[in-house]
Amino acid sequence: MTVNPSLAAASSAEVAEDGKAAALLRTEDLTIRFGGLTALDHVNFAVPRSEVCAIIGPNGAGKSTFFNCLTGVLHPTSGAIFFAGADITGLPPNKISQKGIARSYQITNILPNATALENVRIAAQSRRHSWSLFSHHRAYRDIIEKAEAALDSVGLLGKAGEPAANLSHGEQRTLEIAIALATEPQLLCLDEPTAGMSAAETHDTVQLIRRVAANLTILIVEHDMHVVMELAGRITVLHYGAVLAEGTPSEIQQNPRVIEVYLKT
Amino acid sequence: MRRGHGTVFWTGFAVIVALLIAAPLVLTEFWRRFVTEILIWGLLAMSSDILIGYTGMVSFGHSAFFGLGMYGAAAALLTIDPPNLWLALFYGLVAAAAVAACVAYFSTRLRDIYFAITTLIFSQIFYVIIFTWTAVTGGENGLAFERPPLAIPGLFDFVLTPTRLHWFVLAVVAGSYLILRRITQSPFGMVLQSIRENEARTRAIGYAVERYKIVAVMLSGLFAGLAGVLYALQNQFAAPDFVFFLVSGETVIYNVIGGIGTLVGPIVGAAFFLLLREGLSRFLTQYYLIPLGAVFIAIVILMPQGLLGFMRRWLNE
Ligand SMILES: Nc1ncnc2c1ncn2[C@@H]1O[C@H](COP(=O)(O)OP(=O)(O)O)[C@@H](O)[C@H]1O
Ligand SMILES: [Mg+2]
Repeated sequence: MTVNPSLAAASSAEVAEDGKAAALLRTEDLTIRFGGLTALDHVNFAVPRSEVCAIIGPNGAGKSTFFNCLTGVLHPTSGAIFFAGADITGLPPNKISQKGIARSYQITNILPNATALENVRIAAQSRRHSWSLFSHHRAYRDIIEKAEAALDSVGLLGKAGEPAANLSHGEQRTLEIAIALATEPQLLCLDEPTAGMSAAETHDTVQLIRRVAANLTILIVEHDMHVVMELAGRITVLHYGAVLAEGTPSEIQQNPRVIEVYLKT
Repeated sequence: MRRGHGTVFWTGFAVIVALLIAAPLVLTEFWRRFVTEILIWGLLAMSSDILIGYTGMVSFGHSAFFGLGMYGAAAALLTIDPPNLWLALFYGLVAAAAVAACVAYFSTRLRDIYFAITTLIFSQIFYVIIFTWTAVTGGENGLAFERPPLAIPGLFDFVLTPTRLHWFVLAVVAGSYLILRRITQSPFGMVLQSIRENEARTRAIGYAVERYKIVAVMLSGLFAGLAGVLYALQNQFAAPDFVFFLVSGETVIYNVIGGIGTLVGPIVGAAFFLLLREGLSRFLTQYYLIPLGAVFIAIVILMPQGLLGFMRRWLNE
């Protein structure tokens, strides 16, 4: 029963590399408690590289809390998070962003008084030139071009000069995605990206996510079942902070426990 | 359009600098000194705008940076023979930077009112040290010293007359304005404004917010210290009154009156406030603070964006 400690250490790193089909993101017994409330309860979860994974579950299941743990906003009570083979548990949000995880928020979270372009430009700038003090920010064409490309990819280039607060709700939700894309992430986490959108806007957003998914790994939390079924290759169902079920969309649709707690209501 | 805006800016800048160059030639000594001091207080206010207006952190500790710049200059002018202007600048900036590093390290972890209170407490600590450490600082009486010459060995050597001092102050303040303006437009400056708009979001897109805040406080403290050095040169003394929190409070008032987040606004605010105080105190002797307070409240209520913001909107209409 004696295990060579160096071997044990090596194997835990390799699980991420080739164990679970090269999972880009993996959580191990991720648990967080707020006082008496266990918002996440030993969540074991993995997102394979290049896939679109979805998390669904009733309101208050812990979906946003899960994102907050992944992105360093909240520190888990116990458990670990691995990204691209490295332990990122407890890192602050800025470090996690630099490692390649970007997110959008359930409640729109932008710079309201800055233009749409500046919202995206400042995100692009976080990778380069951000400590330059004596050059005008417009002198860095590479950053502006990257920002314009991100705006273009979500169809907002026409609104580049518009203050973000003047954009419609749907446009602000899309701007969120552009901001996340401008940081050139490996993993994009979207928290209810279609919340509050009209049917037409929802349709456009689904198309957008599908386009973006060509070069990225995506983890999406969504309320709209049609959106999830259309986009996700794998679905995880959270219920009271614990994983209730996991599988392909059709497996989830037929899972009796899932139907009982979620799909029926 | 953009080019047009630039032309307007540089024309305006040149006209104002030209007027300020001519000022000591036409004004009496009293008003010459008044204008020089407005420039110095304006620089102090402008330095604090980097925090208040651009980063969204209200500092009530700028008197410490200003005062340490002043005492640093005093130390150089009293200990080095012959007195050297550049060493006075150097000592003043080093002293201010040391205090700023200390304040930055401890206070930038805190936000909003907690940041403001920490800066206030720090400045009062320095006030108490300076007030009580009589052997070194002269305590309540402060330190008096001679003005150094304006000289570069081998190039020129001028006696620093009041008029030349005015020009020297003008050059430093105008240069500082251009540097600060450029910093606010730089990638770094844009990060500060992003922190002001939405700190959590700024962190989430990958910025180590605390580090940017520390550098912002250091920069702000450095320029406030520069103002302190200039004030030492102008008045040829350093006194603990200038480290007292009233100076910090007035700095914030200049910003609010003139318009935060504009750099020029705080200078306008300082000029307006000092002129108004001068005028009112002549007519109303000790009661001048009452109408001064009333004007301040009226400005805050009627022109929430300050005098400059108000004038801008008025010009656009
Ligand atoms: N910072 C927090 N402090 C205390 N309780 C929290 C906090 N964040 C979330 N919760 C609680 O955790 C539970 C899960 O919330 P959340 O993750 O927002 O659910 P979902 O996104 O699945 O609707 C809820 O009961 C919520 O009230
Ligand atoms: Mg949620």
